[in-house]
Amino acid sequence: MSTPAPILDVSGLCKEFVLHNIDGRKVNGLDNVSFALDPGEHLVLAGSSGAGKSTLLRAVYRTYLPTSGRVNFVLDDGRTVDLAVIPDRELLALRGRQIGYVSQFLRVQPRRGVLDLVTRAGVSRGMDVPSARDAAATSLRRLNIGEHLWDVHVAVLSGGEKQRVNIAAGLISPPRLVLLDEPVSALDPENRESAIELIGELRAQGVAVLAVFHDLDAIARLADRVLLMRRGRVTADGPTGEVLPMLKKEEALL
Amino acid sequence: MNDPQRAVETAPAVLTVRGLGKAYGAVDDAVISRTGSDRGSARDPLSGSIIAAWDVSFDVAAGEALGIVGESGSGTSTVLRCIAGDVPATCGDVRMECHDGGTSNVLTADPSERRRMRVDKISVVYQDPAEGLSLGVTAGGNIADPLTAAGWRNFMAIRERARELLARTDVPLDRMDDIVRTFSGGMRQRVQIARALANNPSVILLDEPTTGLDASVAAGVLDLLRGLLEEMNMAAVVVSHDFSVIEMLTSRCIVMHHGRVVESTLTDQLLEDPHHPYSQRLVSAARA
Repeated sequence: MSTPAPILDVSGLCKEFVLHNIDGRKVNGLDNVSFALDPGEHLVLAGSSGAGKSTLLRAVYRTYLPTSGRVNFVLDDGRTVDLAVIPDRELLALRGRQIGYVSQFLRVQPRRGVLDLVTRAGVSRGMDVPSARDAAATSLRRLNIGEHLWDVHVAVLSGGEKQRVNIAAGLISPPRLVLLDEPVSALDPENRESAIELIGELRAQGVAVLAVFHDLDAIARLADRVLLMRRGRVTADGPTGEVLPMLKKEEALL
Repeated sequence: MNDPQRAVETAPAVLTVRGLGKAYGAVDDAVISRTGSDRGSARDPLSGSIIAAWDVSFDVAAGEALGIVGESGSGTSTVLRCIAGDVPATCGDVRMECHDGGTSNVLTADPSERRRMRVDKISVVYQDPAEGLSLGVTAGGNIADPLTAAGWRNFMAIRERARELLARTDVPLDRMDDIVRTFSGGMRQRVQIARALANNPSVILLDEPTTGLDASVAAGVLDLLRGLLEEMNMAAVVVSHDFSVIEMLTSRCIVMHHGRVVESTLTDQLLEDPHHPYSQRLVSAARA
């Protein structure tokens, strides 16, 4: 049986932070992390807080500059680039278009309307305005963001509403690789459910997902595979059914 | 075309700065080696020369904004003023797509040509609107100025263009014929921005565009600039010591300290993972 070529191939990834203003102290973030992710595959990073899950997402997106190791990413034209070392401007050209990142919070909170923000995200990935607007409306409805909020500035929404707008913007005409950092953690059960459904549909669209989720239910439902991390290292990497019991045991010990 | 050096297509640079330097006083290799971030000063203790900026290099593409970050005195504004032609550079090579198609060094162009470039190719927005505007002239008159310099002759057309620019920058149109000195700080800044956009420049240089404004007024000007940078295909350079401005407007930036570039990086990476000791100090101070 032939296996598909991975879209992301991370090998020997290390991240060390040097805190120059605290006696040059060194903090180890990632220690020799290796894994591969296939197109359409959903891989969840799990482990206790401080294990390096978000650090790994950021090192892939290059919000953190990797200290060593490779982050090989296959472009839509089939060529491979190492995200750890390509020039800043090339990396920026990939961000948003081929690699998406949805964090728990909106970083910059623009004084811009909800529908406009999500529509622009679609347009930035090549949709024309009318279809981006339709797609934005559909996903906002599915995430229970009512029409009365569509022309309201994102900055004045509640935390949970912002997070849902963030998901809608991140997943409209999705890039080929989506990084999710606890995207549903601040949502109430009903809204979590709709967000999880929307994320689950990415699989059918062939979108590869690398995600951090804290709750076991979301992991069980969304992950094809789980990477268990501890102190910046990968301690287990396997199908969800195999790794989830290990994670449960680890959490029970804590 | 399998060029491993350029796997990802990026927009070509329309502004290229290489080895830009500005020294006050005599300068040689020894002076350079005694100044800069490592030496903790831009002033050479032996000769007294001040190396305001040295060995500054960066590229900016159309539709892109680059930030220059540093405390006051670090050389950030000097770099901007050398590019604009307000201050003669000591050395360096600055190319612009809009000047000879990028084939010749802007810094060595003759002064009349450099003044002409300021009319319709490069615009500057200064921290102090008094630098970019004639305060004793009306808002409309301030905008008419670069238009007539660019060859506009029809009075009605000039009025119409001024009205359009003032509307875009949210200046009430009933103030168009008022003298700028009667305007608030935020509104003066909007008029300055309107004037800077008059001839659709390909390069815009912003020097602390919101510093000194009240927080709510600054936020409004910042929103305006963000929208303009998104919709107009300009190459922008933004000097600011305020990380919220840099974060809002730019995707890449350089950090300057005692006249030298100490870090050149993605803006989100600078904020989350600064490398140089000075950058780490700046970011942690801003986060406090």
